[in-house]
Amino acid sequence: MNEILTQEKSIYIQISEMIENDILRDILLEGEKTPSTNDLAKLYSINPATAAKGINILVDKGILYKKRGIGMFVEQGAKEKIKNTRKSEFYKNYVEALIQEAKNLGISREELVHMIQEHATV
Amino acid sequence: MENLICKNLCKSYKDKEVLKDVNLTLEPGKIYGLIGRNGVGKTTLLSLISAQSTVTSGEVTLGNEPVWENPNALQHICFSRELGMSVSTGTGAMKVKQYLKAAKMFYPNWDEEMAQKLIKLFELDMKKQIAKLSKGMASMITIIVALASKAPYTFLDEPVAGLDVVARDMFYRLLIEEYTESGRTFVISTHIIEEAADVFEEVIIVKNHGIFLKEHTDALLERARHISGRADVIDTVTQDMHTYHEENIGRSKGVTVLLEPGQKISSNDEITVQKVSLQNLFVALCGEEISLKNER
Repeated sequence: MNEILTQEKSIYIQISEMIENDILRDILLEGEKTPSTNDLAKLYSINPATAAKGINILVDKGILYKKRGIGMFVEQGAKEKIKNTRKSEFYKNYVEALIQEAKNLGISREELVHMIQEHATV
Repeated sequence: MENLICKNLCKSYKDKEVLKDVNLTLEPGKIYGLIGRNGVGKTTLLSLISAQSTVTSGEVTLGNEPVWENPNALQHICFSRELGMSVSTGTGAMKVKQYLKAAKMFYPNWDEEMAQKLIKLFELDMKKQIAKLSKGMASMITIIVALASKAPYTFLDEPVAGLDVVARDMFYRLLIEEYTESGRTFVISTHIIEEAADVFEEVIIVKNHGIFLKEHTDALLERARHISGRADVIDTVTQDMHTYHEENIGRSKGVTVLLEPGQKISSNDEITVQKVSLQNLFVALCGEEISLKNER
């Protein structure tokens, strides 16, 4: 959660992504309490309403849940959920952009496929 | 705490009209950013709302009570102004210690413990004369008065002017801490928009003698975009939109747009659509085309 905020994206989206990243990397564990809205607001010098908006996205996604009067906690199965969502967004966020740039540069379909086969180590 | 409301505020100095028909509602528990170009009337607006100067016409009310000469309402409002630095006027001749003592008497909810902590944190010399302070140190005093006043409505006029970047960061942290713990309302005017943007829940832009816009920062940035590409394509894409700050170079054109509800930019291979920062948006909305060359 100690990444730096950038201008590229809305702050509340960055807040929600940072918490997700921490869950993916086991920095925040399932069942564990997350930093509060006010903690996040102070850490980043942002308006608490913005921090709350970022946290609420994760509540809506079923990644965090609220225990009344105690705080926010990571839902069981949150890690798997984040992976699945990110996989489905992978096409839109990365593949589409890749194809668009290939088009701009006149890279052929064969060349593109070749590049991926050559360099993909996954 | 109730809303602080300005109704049809007008202010003229002799024959110069500064503010005209300002209608503004401030809600409790928010941090507002007040931005506008030099001389546009931000300080005047804050001094009218806090009843530190007379309105030409119009009214400011807290709850249902007028604020003017009403101690009951005024105890809830603090406007920590920039300090007058001339030795001949009141504040310039005072020592830091005297000024803070006066503030302590003036604000009924004054938090002396907080004031002392801040004095230490900012390493202020209490024996120094106000007129001899650097710009940054003078700003620190206005910050201390604003925070320690504990007033539910607190206005800060360019609190970070002259502060170095570390002190500015410190100010925003202290502000957020005080805000999260107290839920007070802050209105902050600043020209260093970029670093304050994330602190503001809402922005108020002053332009042409009035409130040009008052909106949630998130929502405003969500409908602001910079579009660029070949000029004729850009013209077609933006024909029904509010456009600002057009820039042309050769066949290429860039323009900032504010989308109205329901409007969408149809994504298209030929154009680049980018988000803009609050500072860039402000320049687009309030800046003008300038050139050192003579107008033709």
